[in-house]
Amino acid sequence: MADGTPVIALRGVTKTYANGKSALRDVNLSVPEGDFVFLVGPSGAGKSTLIRLLIREELPTRGKVMLEGRDLARLSRREVPKIRRRIGIVFQDFKLLPNKSVRDNVAFALEVTGTPRARIKPAVERVLRVVGLSAQADQRPSELSGGEQQRTAIARALVHDPHLFIADEPTGNLDPLISWEIIQLLLRINEMGVTVMMATHNAEVVTALRKRVVGLEDGRVVRDETGAAYHPED
Amino acid sequence: MIAFVAFSLNRAWQGFWRNSLMSLAATASMVLMLTLLSGVVILYFGLNATLNYVQGEVQVVAYLNDSATAQDVAQLKAQLQAMPQVSTVNYVSKDQALKNFQTSEPGVANLVDSLPSNPLPASFEIGLRDPSDYIDVATYLRGQAAVDSVQDIAKTVSQMTSVINVVSTVGIVVLVIVGLTVLFIIVNTIRLAVVARAEEIEIMRLVGASDAFIRWPFVFEGAFVGLLGAIITIGLLLLVQAPVASLLSSFFNVLPVQATAMVGQNVALMVLGTGVGIGFVGSYVSVRSYLKR
Repeated sequence: MADGTPVIALRGVTKTYANGKSALRDVNLSVPEGDFVFLVGPSGAGKSTLIRLLIREELPTRGKVMLEGRDLARLSRREVPKIRRRIGIVFQDFKLLPNKSVRDNVAFALEVTGTPRARIKPAVERVLRVVGLSAQADQRPSELSGGEQQRTAIARALVHDPHLFIADEPTGNLDPLISWEIIQLLLRINEMGVTVMMATHNAEVVTALRKRVVGLEDGRVVRDETGAAYHPED
Repeated sequence: MIAFVAFSLNRAWQGFWRNSLMSLAATASMVLMLTLLSGVVILYFGLNATLNYVQGEVQVVAYLNDSATAQDVAQLKAQLQAMPQVSTVNYVSKDQALKNFQTSEPGVANLVDSLPSNPLPASFEIGLRDPSDYIDVATYLRGQAAVDSVQDIAKTVSQMTSVINVVSTVGIVVLVIVGLTVLFIIVNTIRLAVVARAEEIEIMRLVGASDAFIRWPFVFEGAFVGLLGAIITIGLLLLVQAPVASLLSSFFNVLPVQATAMVGQNVALMVLGTGVGIGFVGSYVSVRSYLKR
């Protein structure tokens, strides 16, 4: 946002699940537009809950989650899908449809949001070029390498021109070399002006890139610094 | 909007064939129910039309004794014509009755030839100005020596009314039970379709598909089961229409032919409406309960 409104703003966010388990405790976080943030912390620290709050799969028990200045708890049912189109998200397990080609997997995101047919094709070809999969467009996910599958998922997440790109352990299933390719791609997306948040365990990547690191532990933000190293055993 | 309808229909079609065994089983149960429904309704309409015909008949038929002389007949005719309630009096001789019978039942005409004598009685067909005068005229006729018997419409009417009541009560009870069963089958079929697409639904949510795009394809899928079931049922009805119509017309002798054609059209519309309706409602219920949020 040109006016300086942060893309992500969490104010005193606490999330307690129905079983009494506290996933997040009084979390404050602000991510300005164009930022690249690593979200780190051990399993169960609250990373996934934070992401689920950002895409409004969950609502906070207390506090406010704001996306581009809008309180997600105040969105009407109809507005939720529209907000989600402004967020591109990829996961460790890619979530591709096995019976569709790369092209159709990406096009699916536009079809299910009612995009006219004529606009789908050029948009799909464009994002496939961005992720470098134009040549594999007709292949099925099973014929692709893990890295190519994740790039397909990234293309699908990009096709709505999101303002925020969330990657939840995107390299968790990939070997180090391929992981770097994916990170490079996320950096390029960030250079295009998209705010990127990446949850990861990959210390090597976090340390090498010297980007902003937000550390969660036991539901609390335990560190938030730029250019720091990351040691998972901390 | 066009994109939405095209997408939903396409997905409904894919969904139907994705678990084709289940979809076809649901369609078959739909056909069964609709056929049953049509049967009950056709029977009900047939009986009612016959009843109306009988009730609306403003004619009294008095069968004459074979022993009545021409003089008796002429005298009775004159007396009838003098009655204020009577509009027309038509004498049907034994020979005429036989000819009428042979024209209306050509199949058994030969059988009559083999009989030693004409078994059919002569009769008066007496037209009434007002059907409510029926009892008066019938009572008068029964008192006449020349009259053997008078067609007793009142008895026929009360018998038919009780038959119709039984048919409609039993029919409604059976239809409600079968209808609920079919509804349950549709709900379950669509639930399985939703489960089969759980992965896609998750992706659709993540990429920002609206609820309509997620839900309506399933509703269309259920409606499609109903539509297909209705089309098959109508096809079956057309197939058996000719034999059933002839069975009906020989069963309900007096039923006017054009009534059957009208009933046919109404039944087709009813089958279509019920099939699509149950498919729609069943899948809507299913989507509502299995696709929360």
